[in-house]
Amino acid sequence: MLQRKIWVRRAGHGQSATLVQVREDDLVDDARDVILRKYQNSLGRSFDAPDVSLRIVPRDTKHPERALGPDEDICRTLDAYFPGGQTVDEALIIDVPTRRTPRPSPRGHHPPHHHIPYYLDEATARPGENGGDYFPPMPATLPSPAALTDLSHASRGSLHGGVAGSSTALADRHERAISVLNTGQIAPLPSPGADRRRPHHPRPRSTRHNTSSPTATTSLSGGPPQPPPPPPPQMPTPPVVDASSPGGAVAGPGSSGGGANANAATAALEATPALPAGLLDGSVPPINVLIVEDNIINLKLLEAFMKRLKVRWQTAMNGRDAVTKWRAGGFHLVLMDIQLPIMSGLEATKEIRRLEKVNGIGVFGVEAMVGAEGNGTGTGSGEGETEGEPEGLDEKDKLDKGVMFKSPVIIVALTASSLQSDRHEALGAGCNDFLTKPVNFVWLERKVKEWGCMQALIDFDGWRKWKDFNMSDGAADQQHRQQQQQQHSLGSKNDGAGAGVTVGAPAGVSIKDVAVLGGTKSAAARVGGDAAEGVAKVPAEDELAVEDDSTSPDG
Amino acid sequence: MLEQSDSIDTTTFEQILEMDDDDDRDFSKSIVYDYFQQAQSTFTKMDTSLDKRDFPQLSDLGHFLKGSSATLGLTKLKDSCEKIQHYGKRKDETGTRDESDEELLLGRLRSTIDDAKQEFNEIERLLRRFYRDESS
Repeated sequence: MLQRKIWVRRAGHGQSATLVQVREDDLVDDARDVILRKYQNSLGRSFDAPDVSLRIVPRDTKHPERALGPDEDICRTLDAYFPGGQTVDEALIIDVPTRRTPRPSPRGHHPPHHHIPYYLDEATARPGENGGDYFPPMPATLPSPAALTDLSHASRGSLHGGVAGSSTALADRHERAISVLNTGQIAPLPSPGADRRRPHHPRPRSTRHNTSSPTATTSLSGGPPQPPPPPPPQMPTPPVVDASSPGGAVAGPGSSGGGANANAATAALEATPALPAGLLDGSVPPINVLIVEDNIINLKLLEAFMKRLKVRWQTAMNGRDAVTKWRAGGFHLVLMDIQLPIMSGLEATKEIRRLEKVNGIGVFGVEAMVGAEGNGTGTGSGEGETEGEPEGLDEKDKLDKGVMFKSPVIIVALTASSLQSDRHEALGAGCNDFLTKPVNFVWLERKVKEWGCMQALIDFDGWRKWKDFNMSDGAADQQHRQQQQQQHSLGSKNDGAGAGVTVGAPAGVSIKDVAVLGGTKSAAARVGGDAAEGVAKVPAEDELAVEDDSTSPDG
Repeated sequence: MLEQSDSIDTTTFEQILEMDDDDDRDFSKSIVYDYFQQAQSTFTKMDTSLDKRDFPQLSDLGHFLKGSSATLGLTKLKDSCEKIQHYGKRKDETGTRDESDEELLLGRLRSTIDDAKQEFNEIERLLRRFYRDESS
């Protein structure tokens, strides 16, 4: 039996044609089966072959277009209408019923004897999502807020198998729904495909919460009163961004300023795993380390290690040397061997802490210092002086204010001792941490990063002066990241209030635009904005944004 | 590769080997050979201090060699050095209890130093062979 291929396409603007294979003697009715198999996602799941009708648009416009009867011989009809062969532009148009009552059950329209497996695939079938028959995409002809939804729906549809909606004709019917949305008055009717899928979706709630906040703000502050913005950038598809959380909500909207929807979502997916990894990906903050070690073997190894970490370091072979070098300033971290000639590491530590205190460096609480001083009496050089009062400071204790002493240095005790008492002694002397030899280099690397980042948090301004390289990879990132996470959690809370509005709501403006147009200092908008710095400034204003939303329903 | 041995903690030693350049073992070799010198001179000083019954000096020497031994992963030698350090402080071998009997301490010091030397000789043999094999 001879086979031939015929062009068909779905109704609606911009639907691309496709070839389906029929036999020479097939009737239109047979062709409908084939077509449903071809459109197995968008049509096959919700329509039966008898529901589908085919329309032919003749070449010469004198003849009206007409629907083909099921009993017509399809090939003969085509030959009659298109002598010389059907071209792609002459594709038969597939019409499906535009108005269907909600089905009582997804299984209700099973063709009883149908053998095609996709009909049976109820486990993955999402009845609400197909066809555009129920909630058609918003029309592109509406003002931009709706246009965005159209786009986002179309691309969401394409993610799920090529639905783009045949129903622009029905758009005006839903215009009212859109306007309701724009006023912010109604929550649960936002986005065509997305909303109806919710009940079937295994994890709808978190999806909403993580990603919808920027959308909510956008739809409300960028509503009807705003001038139509330029061609709308697309929002990331919420479920996709959600899959990449935690942290995805931050990255997702931020990357959605332009570009295709799917691209933005993909970008978010790719960017997100990198966030936590940023700290551990081999970049070490540009800190300055003082290695105090009297054993040349250990010194050489630690030096080699610092070299490998690409951090700056200096060395001291005894405690007095260490204090002298520390006084020159600029160290973030001291690796201090405990037992040293001339002045032990513990004495050096106490001396450094004493000098920090009398010079008013850093944030030491009085109690902490009392403890350290108690142990340190008699060891330092400044016994009996008026501690805590920089005015009465001994001249020899005065640190050069020109150098960097913004924060207490982090001192890490190094010892090969297995005695717990040595450990306590070191911490009592004012060490921040304790390392036992042999030092595990992987561990030391991680610790250097931790301590380095801690210093960066304490002293960000001073930090900038010191960074020669690579700051963005290091501490600054981490700082922002923490603030973003804080922001993120706030944002999630906020979402609870407006979640219904948010999902797929007609976000006609990009998040960046919101900040400009609406002038709201919504933290949510800033999360999606281009700068993490913006986020950092306004965590407390999140609530404010909520208030704005609720009190100004008209945008 | 370095053969398995009780004397050398391979994890620790290998992280030193990792600091070498790809094509040679110059760095770790220099560290290890420096350590040989350091250990030998320390043992010599220990012998002298033992003759002089210089307990504090013995403790310091024990501590000194303990540090580098630990860094190289020479666990047994490190433990011996720690004992020497404790005995030098006139304590028992764990460093927790005072020990006033100097003759007893001197005897323990002597035997512990001997143990440490033997341990060191074994290690030196292993490591020299390792670096000879590597370089050939």
